[in-house]
Amino acid sequence: MAFVTALRRLAHVRLREYSWRTAAVTSGAWLTSQRSFTSSSPSLRSDNKVTINFVNRDGEKITVKGSPGDSLLDIVINEDLDFDGFGACEGTLACSTCHLIFDEDTYKSLGPVTDEEMDMLDLAYGLTDTSRLGCQICLTKSLEGVVARVPESVADIRQSKDESS
Amino acid sequence: MLQKALKVSGRSAFPLAKWMERWTEGASAKSQALRTLDDMPGPSVASFAWDLFARRGLSRLHEIQLEGVQRYGPMWKASFGPILTVHVADPALIEQVLRQEGQHPMRSDLSSWKDYRKARGHHYGLLTSEGEEWQSVRSLLGKHMLRPKAVEAYDKTLNGVVSDLIAKLRLRRRSRGLVSDIASEFYRFGLEGISSVLFESRIGCLDEVVPEETERFIQSINTMFVMTLLTMAMPKWLHQLFPKPWNVFCRCWDYMFDFARGHIDQRLTAEAEKVARGEEVEGRYLTYFLSRTGLPIKTVYSNVTELLLAGVDTIASTMTWSLYELSRHPEVQASLRDEMLSVLEGRSIPEAKDVARMPLLKATVKEVLRLYPVIPANARVITETDIQVGGYLLPKNTLITLCHFATSRDPAVFTNPDEFQPHRWLNKDRTHHPYASVPFGVGKRSCIGRRIAELELYLALTRILTEFDVKPDPEGISVKPMTRTLLVPENVINLQFIER
Repeated sequence: MAFVTALRRLAHVRLREYSWRTAAVTSGAWLTSQRSFTSSSPSLRSDNKVTINFVNRDGEKITVKGSPGDSLLDIVINEDLDFDGFGACEGTLACSTCHLIFDEDTYKSLGPVTDEEMDMLDLAYGLTDTSRLGCQICLTKSLEGVVARVPESVADIRQSKDESS
Repeated sequence: MLQKALKVSGRSAFPLAKWMERWTEGASAKSQALRTLDDMPGPSVASFAWDLFARRGLSRLHEIQLEGVQRYGPMWKASFGPILTVHVADPALIEQVLRQEGQHPMRSDLSSWKDYRKARGHHYGLLTSEGEEWQSVRSLLGKHMLRPKAVEAYDKTLNGVVSDLIAKLRLRRRSRGLVSDIASEFYRFGLEGISSVLFESRIGCLDEVVPEETERFIQSINTMFVMTLLTMAMPKWLHQLFPKPWNVFCRCWDYMFDFARGHIDQRLTAEAEKVARGEEVEGRYLTYFLSRTGLPIKTVYSNVTELLLAGVDTIASTMTWSLYELSRHPEVQASLRDEMLSVLEGRSIPEAKDVARMPLLKATVKEVLRLYPVIPANARVITETDIQVGGYLLPKNTLITLCHFATSRDPAVFTNPDEFQPHRWLNKDRTHHPYASVPFGVGKRSCIGRRIAELELYLALTRILTEFDVKPDPEGISVKPMTRTLLVPENVINLQFIER
């Protein structure tokens, strides 16, 4: 009986999750309003948090904090960072729009890249030797203060050409 | 002039394509340089219709891509029945299209698949829905089907199906280990595999006596795919004159929808009874996830129907071509077996994590899908805005056909493009354009079953090659692909499975 109650509760949570999600879609703010792609319990103790610096396409530095276990894509979503077109496939390793560029030392410290991530990176715009996909990098304490640059997209290049003409 | 230059150079030498990409991007500043659809070359309506209907063109659509490139260069227009479509057959130009596909990419707004659902009052599934309706289901299923961690969890279920496949192959062996028509066994394997993932229960496709309903389901998929192209190529007035193709097409879909609904209802009823008895229910299967979200049951039916059919031909053709090519390349087969045995270290059943250490296996599947892309041509409709591709301005709502078969067999991109050479994928300094071979598509509308399919192929190929030496039929012939919406072998393939 206790199990049935638990099951009901589970179904309830899922239902709620769905209706909330539908609401998010209808409001047309799918990506920016969704909480987190990987399910990790947010840490309440702020001293556990890791500081990350994103450099956006205009060269501005944005400093945010995230919890260990979150992916860099999760942080972009959670913090509502406005990088146009970022994370289109919602962290399912089906596109390369969460492409980030690191300095060489940081890149080496990020650990090995799986074949699947490598194949997706090949399709990325403006690929460099120190490129990674944000959805595949999970925060650890050792990444404190890391700098991740959001590369230009095709749209940016078109835009700047239009403006210069 | 550019068009001419491309033709003269034997088309799209890679640097030239790159240069062209830059050129087209630069061209946005001076839009007078843009050409329109009127300027685009292509066959006349009559001559293309003649090719399609009189020259067996529907089953040779992949070859017609190659002819189109030869004749017109990397972009041309043609009327497929009542629909005008722009063909794009260059990796850099395919990249340009896909980068502009927008927030809710659409494959095609006109389709007989959608017409059928509308006519019968069914809902749309992932293959046929669009916009936010599509996005909500894609997000839900993507979590369970594409994330690496989620996919690994299917290895036990799939290994169970693979064990049955091995037993069935043993059962089907005749003199000298010959198994006839291996594809037929792989169709059943495909259906059993996707069913196990969708229902977490088995439906007996690999039993000694195959249930009649599964054979009929497989037959319905095959016929439906043949009729898909035919019904789309036929103008409306021709449908009135010859109603048969459309009627057959609908009957196939009716059967597939019934089949899926039967299995879903059965599974969910069993579940409800268990819950009523206070028993434990552990749902790890996709139908469960779908049914728990508050989606209308009709949406669950249509999604499960479409997922079922998408997991059959795709797996079957790729398994068939893989073993066909490996049987004809014993040296590759031997290296692949060495790789598998060294990773398995005496174990007989591989796990998902073993595959990460089998680069040649992954390269082999990539090479098979380059030579025989299951989807020889894909499509996009960009509804939000006009886009620029290859120096042309394509008005919004233009149907764009992406000619994947042509790019993956392009000698300017792949040396010896018709040769089976898996090692080309292991060369770290490879130079081919990354969009030349994208068998699962790219981006948020790419194949949602990709990771499960890959795992299924890896697990099955590992077991088959470690248990058998696979050799060609001594009386076999070389087999070509043909188009049946999907790319499939033109003839029956028999192979010898010799016990190791």
